[in-house]
Amino acid sequence: MNIVSAFSNKESVDAVVQDLQEQFGNVDAKMVIYYASSLHAPDSISQKMQEAFPGATVFGCSTAGEIASGKMLKNSVTAMAFNAQAMTEVEVAVVENVQDDSGVEQAFAAFEKRFGASMLDLNPKRYVGIILVDGLSGAEEKLIDKIGDLTDVTFIGGSAGDDLKFAATHVYANGKSYSNAAVLALLKPATEFSFIKTQSFNTLCKKLVVTKADEAKREVLEFDNRPAAEAYADALGIPVAEAAGRFMHNPVGLVIEGEPFVRSPQQIKDSGMLFYCGVVEGMELSILESTDIIEDTRKALEEAKAKLGSISGLINFNCILRTLELEQKQATGAYGELFAGFPTVGFSTYGEQYIGHINQTATMLVFK
Amino acid sequence: MAGKIKMMIDSIIEQRAKDNVMLQGVIRTKLMLKGIDPKKFTMQSDDDPAIMSKLELLVKDLK
Repeated sequence: MNIVSAFSNKESVDAVVQDLQEQFGNVDAKMVIYYASSLHAPDSISQKMQEAFPGATVFGCSTAGEIASGKMLKNSVTAMAFNAQAMTEVEVAVVENVQDDSGVEQAFAAFEKRFGASMLDLNPKRYVGIILVDGLSGAEEKLIDKIGDLTDVTFIGGSAGDDLKFAATHVYANGKSYSNAAVLALLKPATEFSFIKTQSFNTLCKKLVVTKADEAKREVLEFDNRPAAEAYADALGIPVAEAAGRFMHNPVGLVIEGEPFVRSPQQIKDSGMLFYCGVVEGMELSILESTDIIEDTRKALEEAKAKLGSISGLINFNCILRTLELEQKQATGAYGELFAGFPTVGFSTYGEQYIGHINQTATMLVFK
Repeated sequence: MAGKIKMMIDSIIEQRAKDNVMLQGVIRTKLMLKGIDPKKFTMQSDDDPAIMSKLELLVKDLK
């Protein structure tokens, strides 16, 4: 196999790394991607993972739960290794201050030097980007927006987590750990690849237009020229006092060609609403209604498999809000089972990226 | 003045996507995520400086 995945729930970093090495066996890894519970010290896990695979490009991040083939996990490390038959080339760059636009430009300059072509000229069918970003930076929209301005290569990824402590999240590369940073990886896979963006919602007829927002704070002050919380509650036909209880079941979405880009409300603040991702004045948002994550994901995986013919590996960036819903419904086992048939690595994220920054979604990179 | 925003949007999509229909869709999605819905702008739409400024940044990155 050219792509292999493994997980370890050993307690010490040394034991985890040794366990992963043993499971990977004699795979000559060219690239290793891994996701580690915040249980593990960031500097230590990053250094020892790099030392364990000295010939490989090694990168990853901290999580709010991990995903492996057939399993959803807690307090573990999950990893995937690619050999040269699966990954022709890979280059990683760290954007150390994610609020600064010039970081993306510097990273892209490094990619252009390595691949010998402008990022605007790279063929998006042959190259793909992975983005792992500090999940508490609040900078994801700006970052993915800038990336999208500078290239047509698709960047897909997730925001690092810290097991719902909301204290510090980390991204890992070059044997080091970073906060307020993003790891960007530019991949030239040897095989065909595709993307899954799946969210389990129906779009209701009710719409809300953002008429006043503090975009930097991800806060909507007014929908339809009315206090945001009041307009949201009215759209659902409920009192404002009950609105927060409906956030998980009824987020809002920017619907593009029938496809919602979910923006999840976080809390009511005064008469406005804070969100987990950016909302821009003038956006017309539809009220959404949750459906079945298991069935919707199963269908998305079947479609990807039909498109590619087979799946040799899958990287899953699954929103923590979806994980919490699965836990509430005692369905984490069933979700993990969906990924039992092929090497899988992934984590529960504090936000997902695919073209833009989104919530309550799973974005996946799928290799043929 | 009117119509400049539509012209800028059309130019960006043409330059970035050329005849690639899939890329045209991706660029329209990127614009919508910036709060700019291409379908809402016609040659009669007012030249809103805030929207033009966002589009100018995108044009700059194309060079």
